[in-house]
Amino acid sequence: MSRYMVNKLMVEIDRHDESVAAFKRDTTAFLESWEAAALSPDPPYPVGGSLTPDERKAFADWDFEKLYVLGAHPYLLWHLVRAIYVPERLTVEELSDAFKAAVAEHDWPDFST
Amino acid sequence: MAEIVLTAGVPHTPLLWRLLREPIPDDLVSVASNYDRFRELLATARPDVIVLVASDHFRQLATSNMPAFMIGKAEEMRGTHPNEERAFGLPFVTVPGDPEVARVVLGHHQLPAGFDFAFSDEPWLDHAFMVPLLYLTPQLDVPVVPVYTNTNAPPIPSARRFVELGTYLRTSLLQSSLRRRVAIIGTGHLAFELGGPRQFLGTSPDPEFDGLACEWMAEGRGEEAVEACSFERLVGAGNLTFQFLNFLTCLAAAGGRPATIAEATPCRFGNEPFFAWEAE
Repeated sequence: MSRYMVNKLMVEIDRHDESVAAFKRDTTAFLESWEAAALSPDPPYPVGGSLTPDERKAFADWDFEKLYVLGAHPYLLWHLVRAIYVPERLTVEELSDAFKAAVAEHDWPDFST
Repeated sequence: MAEIVLTAGVPHTPLLWRLLREPIPDDLVSVASNYDRFRELLATARPDVIVLVASDHFRQLATSNMPAFMIGKAEEMRGTHPNEERAFGLPFVTVPGDPEVARVVLGHHQLPAGFDFAFSDEPWLDHAFMVPLLYLTPQLDVPVVPVYTNTNAPPIPSARRFVELGTYLRTSLLQSSLRRRVAIIGTGHLAFELGGPRQFLGTSPDPEFDGLACEWMAEGRGEEAVEACSFERLVGAGNLTFQFLNFLTCLAAAGGRPATIAEATPCRFGNEPFFAWEAE
């Protein structure tokens, strides 16, 4: 598990309207592109990265419960799911209720970086 | 020497920005009133510069390079990141800096004894800086020296280190030869959670913590706060409660004396902090 890569990807998706739209439009293609970008790093701020199979599947499935359990940073996770779920799939209130219900049993996973 | 004309602590909850418009919702009237009150306090203090202690939210800083404390020493800074314009409706702005004051705190050729700051020549202020500035100095006409603290990406500095930061800010400014009227403003949360099971409860996730926090400030009990604010106690109060530590910096920057205002203002987001140490 790489909390660093998970957090980095969440930031890079949420950073711009265009990246949010691209992730929502074709999540698989977005993830492939993100991982491919890391093969040609451009220092000192290389974009892209690598994910474990579990992490990749959690992003591909927009599975916030799984990302939470994996130790995704809670602030970044909430803003990512808000950006991709609202308003097309859920209202903020519906999403918050669903989020809290999904993560409640997991208490506070270690999100140290 | 510089003069500290006001020390204060205020909230920066970014969802307030779209909500504090007429007609202001009933539960937010007291928050709006307190921002007004603190804007007047600051106007009365007539600062030449604001030293603003706040926490970046992974916008400028990432864990590829994460400093514990960083000072912005630019003459001008961007405010608000694109995701924050989308999520919170905050405006893109330009904020004046004060490199001379930044240099006093940071050091010129060598870092000061006892404090190893990182620094930025291109600081880009996120909502933690912008929300307080937009409410307290709506014209954005007072230069700002941003002091970034890492309260969001564990490992974070200890509570004692935040006190040492405040003591250092106070000492370095008071001992400097710069003639400036300085306001030191910190921003953070009381008990607060986001991205966890206790987010958006409509009330504080830990009212007991909030009550203690106000007592520490109102009575100048900094040492007791340091002893109490372990990592485990803070995360137990809510997963973003670490940002409370910025207020320990304020308390120390005010010389550790009791706050003249120490309020936990209730609203839908929990208890919003308003602390002030008016001029000695």
